[in-house]
Amino acid sequence: MAAYLVRRLLGTVPVLLLITLLVFLLLQAAPGDPASLLLSDETSAADVAEARRRWGLDQPVHVQYLKFITTAVTGDLGKSFRFAQPVSEVIAARLPATLELATAAIVVAIALAIPLGVWAAARPNSWVDNLGTGFGLFGISMPNFWLGIMLILLFAGQFHLLPSAGRSTYGVAGPEQTGLYFLDSLLQQNWPALKDALLHLTLPALALGTNMVGILMRVTRSSVLDALQEEYVVTARAKGLAERRVVWRHVLRNALIPIVTVVGLELGALLSGSIIVETVFAWPGLGSLLITGITARDYPLVTGLVLMYTAAFVIINLAIDALYGVIDPRIRY
Amino acid sequence: MRSKIIRAILGLGAAFASFFYHPCSSSAETRVAIGVTETMETYNPYGDSVSLLYGIWCQVMGCLGTYDFDKGEYEGMLAERWEVKDPNNWVFHLRRNIRFHDGSRLTAADVVHSFNRVRNDPQSKQKQNIAPIASAAALDDYTVRFTTKEPTAPLLEYLFDRFIITSKAIYDKYGPDVADRKYPIGAGPYRFKELIPGQRFVIAKNPAYPGMKEKKQAPDEIVFRVMREPEQRVTALLNGEIQIAQFIPPHMRDRVERSPNTTVKAVDSVEIMFLAMSPKFKPWDNKQLRQAVSYAIDRDAIIANLLRGEATRLDGPVGPGQYGYNPNLQPKYEYNPEKARQLVKQAGYPNGVDVDYYTPVGRYTLDKQISEAIVPMLHAVGIRAKLHTPEWATLWANVQAGKVPFYYMGRGSVVDPSVALSQYFETGGSPRIGYSNPKLDELLALERRTFDPAKRKKVLSEAMSIITEDAPAHFLWRHQLLYGIARNIEYRPTPSGRIFGEDIKVLR
Amino acid sequence: MVERAGGAWLPARLRIKVFAGGFIVFLLLVVGTLGPLIAPHDPNVQQLRATLKAPTWFTGNHLLGTDNLGRDVLSRIIYGARVSLLVAFAVVVISGFVGVSLGVISGYLGGKADFAIQKLVEVMWAFPPLLLAIAILAFLGQGLFNLILALVAQRWIQYCRVVRGQTLALKNRDFVAATQALGASKARIICRHIVPNIVQTSLVVGTFAMASAIIAEASLSFLGLGVPPEIPTWGTMLADGRIYISTAWWLALFPGLAIFLTVLGINLLGDALRDMLDPRLKRAGSV
Repeated sequence: MAAYLVRRLLGTVPVLLLITLLVFLLLQAAPGDPASLLLSDETSAADVAEARRRWGLDQPVHVQYLKFITTAVTGDLGKSFRFAQPVSEVIAARLPATLELATAAIVVAIALAIPLGVWAAARPNSWVDNLGTGFGLFGISMPNFWLGIMLILLFAGQFHLLPSAGRSTYGVAGPEQTGLYFLDSLLQQNWPALKDALLHLTLPALALGTNMVGILMRVTRSSVLDALQEEYVVTARAKGLAERRVVWRHVLRNALIPIVTVVGLELGALLSGSIIVETVFAWPGLGSLLITGITARDYPLVTGLVLMYTAAFVIINLAIDALYGVIDPRIRY
Repeated sequence: MRSKIIRAILGLGAAFASFFYHPCSSSAETRVAIGVTETMETYNPYGDSVSLLYGIWCQVMGCLGTYDFDKGEYEGMLAERWEVKDPNNWVFHLRRNIRFHDGSRLTAADVVHSFNRVRNDPQSKQKQNIAPIASAAALDDYTVRFTTKEPTAPLLEYLFDRFIITSKAIYDKYGPDVADRKYPIGAGPYRFKELIPGQRFVIAKNPAYPGMKEKKQAPDEIVFRVMREPEQRVTALLNGEIQIAQFIPPHMRDRVERSPNTTVKAVDSVEIMFLAMSPKFKPWDNKQLRQAVSYAIDRDAIIANLLRGEATRLDGPVGPGQYGYNPNLQPKYEYNPEKARQLVKQAGYPNGVDVDYYTPVGRYTLDKQISEAIVPMLHAVGIRAKLHTPEWATLWANVQAGKVPFYYMGRGSVVDPSVALSQYFETGGSPRIGYSNPKLDELLALERRTFDPAKRKKVLSEAMSIITEDAPAHFLWRHQLLYGIARNIEYRPTPSGRIFGEDIKVLR
Repeated sequence: MVERAGGAWLPARLRIKVFAGGFIVFLLLVVGTLGPLIAPHDPNVQQLRATLKAPTWFTGNHLLGTDNLGRDVLSRIIYGARVSLLVAFAVVVISGFVGVSLGVISGYLGGKADFAIQKLVEVMWAFPPLLLAIAILAFLGQGLFNLILALVAQRWIQYCRVVRGQTLALKNRDFVAATQALGASKARIICRHIVPNIVQTSLVVGTFAMASAIIAEASLSFLGLGVPPEIPTWGTMLADGRIYISTAWWLALFPGLAIFLTVLGINLLGDALRDMLDPRLKRAGSV
């Protein structure tokens, strides 16, 4: 199994290389000059040219690409034009915000979708099933940015229950440790900060997680339905096991593979969803960083971010393959 | 020995006190949080060139002087006074009682060092502020001489509020990165407390700065929080999370004013909005067509309906409060679609003319909506404009390269119009409009050499009259900047967008 | 388990899906094609003196209110349907053509072609979907064509994967082997035997691709990367209306509702179609 994973991991290297090349070419094709975008309106042409030289933008593309690759291999993604800091530092500073949001969205999705799906499958064609199916369709069809806006309109604008944007109220949180605010405040036992962090997290997590609830719920329903037809369920029932026990212990375990697969596939969608949801909620994560990077033509930052996104995606897929083995010991590599 | 014991007891007491009193809730301290739109991205005081950050660094590190919009004149900060020795040599006399926050004295050597750093720091984005200066020299500990490349009457426009003074000693000891990151020790009226790039900048009052002790109402601590979304700033203001919110969009004004705890204060910005028509391109090489545009646009209707009155119409490049404003500047373009239609015909387009029109989106107040409102006005007089909304990076690159014939744009920080006029309208100033007029070039060159303010204003006025008549650009308006302000704060915003702590009063 | 729909009879559950989805999609088609006839106003006519008027519902001139330039919201939504439909159809057809062709080639020919195509799939698949579209649009500039291109760039993959799998399975079936033995050319086998058998599957993939294309179009317009401003689209309307969220809620509500209902309708139909055609596909779509 380890050998298999290593082989897969090595197989992703050319993919990542191709992706960086693609991004590089796209960036070069784009109109817009990072130097004149970043420097003040009054900067002289000579100073703009000097900045371009310093950033290596006066070099031909293949030279720039080779330089990027050779330093990237050593783990150095270069320096952001805009933030004048190493790209890895800029990304690291924003990563916790996105992680926090994505985790919360997944938790929301799993907590809602799996019970709903199992319940619906246990009583096919009942009102529970119909309601669940309807909700699933609703979740899939809902554009997440619109849902975000509507949530803001209702819960922040109308009822003043929840904050409309940002991650925290200034001055409530203690020093950053992990950068995940709810974890930090838990570690520091700072209850007001925990409440503050969770309040800020609620709306964006709902907006981001709802699509996934829909998809996950449907997959859970259908795979549980499939599993219910299997022989061992019939056997278990025949043995007189309680229905509840049959469903939750035996069926769910076997239905878990498609569910886990879909969670993994959906993580990619979640990453792209976070780009737009972060914009709606002014969430200071990687998604809004990417938009900033693109509008500023911050080539090293955009390349670094895309590389990170795709690497995360590839690794998630690998992790899921590995998980199969854990869930179902029959699977061997 | 004795003092050691006393110190130990004091220390214990302090520790004890801080155990019970969370420093944030201490009632003696006043804190004002400000929701701002500009991101603060680097620890390097020279690494940004946005007006808000100039203002913050100016308070923390210090700068030579500032423009007082009320009095309409320049005022010294670290510099006590200045004189023009001859057209190429300016001498600044520093105040002798300024100390850095670590206790060391601020001297002419620091000023010269700062000048060199603006010029040589690879991260510097402020070279344009010292562009007219050839060299800087310390004449003695408290006297600095700047030698300009050629006579530059508006030199203070370049230096004041923008040229940040930092400590030479700290730089020499630690080098730029460590100095900026770990020892942001300045000499200004506020001290550096915390900077989290992209999120917040916290500064605290420096009572040691001359005159600051007396300013009891100035906040002890100011938190500048980055809040890009207007909705976010307004909500935070209404919830009392922040006390000042920058740039409230016109349609949200009511909401802030209706709340019992907040109010809105408006100020004309120093950003001039205009339509550029580049004579390099057909059909804009025709002056009559350019003038037709100027007559075709109902600025008053746009200001009244779209901008809800929150803009001040421009007749000519500058308006009231800006340097060189002349209320009698000619010509003036009134809204006159009939005349515009005729001019289009006279220009040789009896059946109208098709043009491409470019606008930024989300860069200026309601930019896209304004352009969408302008298009039918142009159609009505026979100029069939097709609206394009390219992404900013693309538009800006093309404008700077002189590739866009007709666009909506703003030019900020026009206190003294000298630099902006040269940049857009002087031959060789920049390719952005590509307009060239020897008569105007002459006047602009003369204006820079004229040190007598009255004479200079006259020359400027003449130059602006030529631009308005020739209409390579149609000047529209200056937006008003709306600030949401909590009622327990007294603050009057400035046109330039800088925010000084000493201008804020916390009412108790 | 749902039975294969052999005759006119459909299970109740399926009937609801077909009717509800069909109704919405039919409505959309009518609105999209007849837009200019049924829209009460010209969607681009401005009335600067009647901006931000609240909906008047069933009385008055502007049923769904006016926007910040005094344009009629209902008319703009009606015209917006055309863009959404046009983009969605174009994306589905083009990406379907590309995806099915590559999928069949990859599955039937195997070898080097298969390897190259699968590598391409892998690379494109590794991009988070919206990221690729944003990158393409930010760098190629706005426009209907670029928008369609940006959406196609990733949607063909879904077809390609499903079709390749099916082709592989079909290739080894007896009737294909028999035709091969009779000396039929590869092209003939693909056209006569493979393609007809994968049409159904592709149709299902296509409906879901259409739903996701509509959302993606709106998302990109929302980020300011959509079509030029003289074409009203739901996403642009939403983006423009968003800043008025606390003062003019109707600007953000109605275009969003239009997107949501459209996508819901297409998803309902797609669901029904999938249930009818092939229960095994249940897990493949809807991404």
